Amino acid sequence: MSHVLAVLEQRDGALRKVSHEVVTGARRLADALGENVDALLLAGAAVPGMNELGRLGADKVTTLTNPVYRLYAPEGYARAIADRAKAGGYRAVVFAASATGKDLAPRVAARLQRPLAQDVTDVAVEAGAVVAVRPVYAGKALLKVKLAGSPALVSLRPNVFTPVDRPKAGVVEVAVVEGAPGRVTVKQVKAAEAGALDVAEAAIVISGGRGLKEPANFKLLEELARAFGGGAAVGASRAVVDAGWRPHADQVGQTGKTVSPSLYVAVGISGAIQHLAGMRTAKVIVAINRDKDAPIFKVADYGIVGDLFEIVPQLTEAIKKLHA
Amino acid sequence: MREAGRGQRDAGSVVPAAYQPPLPLDRLILPAGAAGAGDRMELDVLIVGAGPAGLAAAIELAQLAKGYGRDVTIGVLEKAAGLGEHSLSGAVVNPRAFRDLFPDLADSDFPFRAPVGKEAVYLLTGGGRLRLPVPPTMHNGGNYVASLCEIVRWLGARAEELGVNVFTGFPAAALLVDGERVAGVRTAATGLDRTGKSGPTSLTPTDLVARVTALAEGTRGMLSQAYLEWQRVASANPQIFALGVKEIWETKRPLDAIIHTLGWPLPADVFGGSFMYPLAPTLVALGLVVGLDYRDAGLDVHQLFQRMKTHPLFRGYLTGGEMVEWGAKTIPEGGYYSVPARRSGAGVVILGDAGGFVDVPSLKGIHYAMQSGIFAARAIFQALSADGPTSERLAEYDRLVNSSYVMHDLYRTRNMRLAFKDGLYRGGLKAGLMAFTGGRFPGRRIAMPPDAAVARRVRVAAPFVPDGKLTFSKADAVFKSGNATRDTIPTHLLVGQDVSREVAELYARMCPAGVYEVADGSLRVNAPNCIDCKATDVLGPRWTPREGGSGPKYKKM
Amino acid sequence: MRIAVCIKRVPDSETRVKIAADGKTLDEAGVKFVVNPYDEFALEEALRRKEQGGSGGGEVVVFSLGPPAAQETVRTALAMGADRGVLLQVDRIPPDGWPVAQALAAALRDGGYDLILFGKLAIDDSNHQVGPMVAELLGLPCVTAIARLDLADGRGTAEREVEGGIEVVEFPLPAVLTTDKGLNEPRYPALKGIMAAKKKPLDVKPTALAVGGLDVVALTAPPARNEGRIVGEGPAAVPELVRLLREEAKVL
Repeated sequence: MSHVLAVLEQRDGALRKVSHEVVTGARRLADALGENVDALLLAGAAVPGMNELGRLGADKVTTLTNPVYRLYAPEGYARAIADRAKAGGYRAVVFAASATGKDLAPRVAARLQRPLAQDVTDVAVEAGAVVAVRPVYAGKALLKVKLAGSPALVSLRPNVFTPVDRPKAGVVEVAVVEGAPGRVTVKQVKAAEAGALDVAEAAIVISGGRGLKEPANFKLLEELARAFGGGAAVGASRAVVDAGWRPHADQVGQTGKTVSPSLYVAVGISGAIQHLAGMRTAKVIVAINRDKDAPIFKVADYGIVGDLFEIVPQLTEAIKKLHA
Repeated sequence: MREAGRGQRDAGSVVPAAYQPPLPLDRLILPAGAAGAGDRMELDVLIVGAGPAGLAAAIELAQLAKGYGRDVTIGVLEKAAGLGEHSLSGAVVNPRAFRDLFPDLADSDFPFRAPVGKEAVYLLTGGGRLRLPVPPTMHNGGNYVASLCEIVRWLGARAEELGVNVFTGFPAAALLVDGERVAGVRTAATGLDRTGKSGPTSLTPTDLVARVTALAEGTRGMLSQAYLEWQRVASANPQIFALGVKEIWETKRPLDAIIHTLGWPLPADVFGGSFMYPLAPTLVALGLVVGLDYRDAGLDVHQLFQRMKTHPLFRGYLTGGEMVEWGAKTIPEGGYYSVPARRSGAGVVILGDAGGFVDVPSLKGIHYAMQSGIFAARAIFQALSADGPTSERLAEYDRLVNSSYVMHDLYRTRNMRLAFKDGLYRGGLKAGLMAFTGGRFPGRRIAMPPDAAVARRVRVAAPFVPDGKLTFSKADAVFKSGNATRDTIPTHLLVGQDVSREVAELYARMCPAGVYEVADGSLRVNAPNCIDCKATDVLGPRWTPREGGSGPKYKKM
Repeated sequence: MRIAVCIKRVPDSETRVKIAADGKTLDEAGVKFVVNPYDEFALEEALRRKEQGGSGGGEVVVFSLGPPAAQETVRTALAMGADRGVLLQVDRIPPDGWPVAQALAAALRDGGYDLILFGKLAIDDSNHQVGPMVAELLGLPCVTAIARLDLADGRGTAEREVEGGIEVVEFPLPAVLTTDKGLNEPRYPALKGIMAAKKKPLDVKPTALAVGGLDVVALTAPPARNEGRIVGEGPAAVPELVRLLREEAKVL
């Protein structure tokens, strides 16, 4: 038995979307190895949605519950997962490269004394070894690495491993366990901005630049984001972040976040090279700009030339209708 | 050519000088001990500028000190964040100053790319070219193609090995003086916000007090200008300047010759030409150099350079390649008659481009800069070993330069650039005569006005649409200079009064980095774009030093 | 307070990436190297904590694992104000964080540090792992990617950015922390600091690395994007855009 362990994430009693991606990535590895996928969740209590994971390829889905696991407990989680990985003789352990996953995976790796490939965009098996591809040098290059031995640990970049149906048994079990929280205690997760989805996690990013003319006009983009029904975030070019229109957390570009959403809409952004570095790996890029010679049109998959103040509301209406 | 005085302007022309603020001497020259500095350091010799002149001076001085068993503390201040990041040149280098500085090393030890092999000079027309014989002043046999950035980094390493303290990221913002004597410099403050207020990480200026200050600031150096104006040191002609815009390309097609061109796309009344040199067979440096006394307010050197690349001669090499670096810098062109009467004084010497030691007809300045640094070091060392760096003692530096090949070469070509004020063809003819008569005919000094005093016809220029593959906008170009200057930095440019729309347009065309824009009929200044080429200081708003590390980050320019 | 800060020598963020002939590493010709920007937040935090500690004394020691040229990187940290430096000298920094963590942990183990600080990741390999691995090896509590830190009475509270929120975390000292942008504004080294750094102790220790389990297969350029197209002008083009996004790009 040398299956693949997929480490899921929950928050506030709900399974985080990224968990689907973890199962998907684990399934890809498991298929190449001819093994099963065991999904594992630590939580305060049972969490809904676990039975859907069978559809995405989980052979078994386990929730270990204990009050100390309600919030992320770095040391408690690391110990529990490392013990489980050892006991289960797993061939690979797959995490999400979320804020939590990137914190958790190295701890588990050190406990298991195994190497870890963080933030990967592809996993495969070559000549019996787990290989992974990861962006390096701020996305300017791709590094393919080989992980020797067992288990191989990887964390998956969010929004890259698009969930695909690979139905498996999906046997669900929930167990109440002992848990020690450890010395590091998460007291709470405060809201950053009410309901704001993080630019690095969103499937759809709508980014605004100086073409919006003033900070108040960003509400046009917020309305467009809302029209997508919760999967979209509003980002900003470096110019407007530096002008103080938007917080640094929203910046897309070389010193801001690197995003890889399925859809990236650049509104009123000229496309100077600094901005492009951050959105390099987005699946589809749409540009809206009144200057037909703006460099962004060379990088965008689709573009509309014209007045964004007319186009964006029209697009918002069209998307609302689509989702209605 | 029409010369217009200050303040004169007719409906169709502008005179840049009318809109330029004067040099802010009260900020640039401070009494030693003036309030405003947070820290104080003492050195024997302070060199402002880690370019070829400054570093050659530092190395020669350190070698002399070591040889004679003396302890001389030497500091070099450099405004760029890293050595070489503000250095830009063609370049084809004459190795003689290297040999003087390092007599025990061979040419193969020096940081050159390759010896010059084939050379060609062309007169370009819109679609074709005419091969010209290489003018006598431009023969480059025995010289080497090099990157000035690489030269500077190499010299810097040698200097540090010899115990020289090189401080990168520290611009000198003012001269400290004690009576008529230069006592040192004060550095610029760092970490100020857009309004000039300091924050928690701001650094107050530091006073560096030294027995001798060597000003090696390069083209249009602020403190050098300030010193010469303060001390009323004259030159026969004012210094005049050209602006060079340069790119480095990785090419698919190899280049095996150094190439210079005249003619297209420059109008006949504009002085200038281009160069294209192989740093490696498929790593090509090319650029366009244009005299800033151009008469057409709509002329844009960056755009002309972009157009130039579309000529079959250049396109043939660049197609399929990739532009990896872009930059620009002014070059002092006045030659012999623009060199100040003295480049030394009590406690001070002026080296390199700051002293005007550039020979335009041969496009050489690096070895003159280094040689001036070497001479300065010898004079300084003698002075420090005797009764101190008095103006008499440091005048030895002037004597060494004046009696050397540096001034001899400049004298021979003294009128060649100046002849071009009559345009390409008449000027070319005159220059040709001078070349063949060793400068004797026509021999009398040709008077020149300062560039800013030259009137320019206002013209609405056609918009330029770059293709992003062979030709590039200023915004993309500035990005390729490595400029990542903090966006909230206070502006360092002193804009004059009442800048009209026509003048704002002139500035927007003049600046290769897109610092100036005309927005809603008035001038908008994007100061962080500035790459310190100094064209603005020559024709437009005055340049002043800003936070260390600002500006370009050239790698191989 | 005794604080250790681990820094890494990395290529400048503006570096144009050229792949070396071996197809696995960066071509370093002409590359400018700097202190990893995330490590600067760690260094600044250490210097502030030491300064705030007042006359109680304290020491900030900088560690770096790197090639001989990394001495310059350590000197930069000394110029910012660290008291002494240790270079664990190797031929090449491996791409695998685990052996790096083992070497650093061994050097840090008996130092009696109240705080051990790292940047959350290095901008070249973005491995995001050495800090917490070192913490596990030393048996110390660890919080990663902190953007705010408060310390009092032998305990600390940190804040870190998570998706859509801010996680508030408490921990006891001594601890290992990794730092994120926003924690502080790193200082510029002053001229006097640069001069003083030349005289501060810098220990160079040749170090043998343990065998890791991660190897590089290849370093490649990212795939080039295909040419896109302008769908139309003005709001009238919106329906066509939406259609293409649904049917062609399949993102809606």
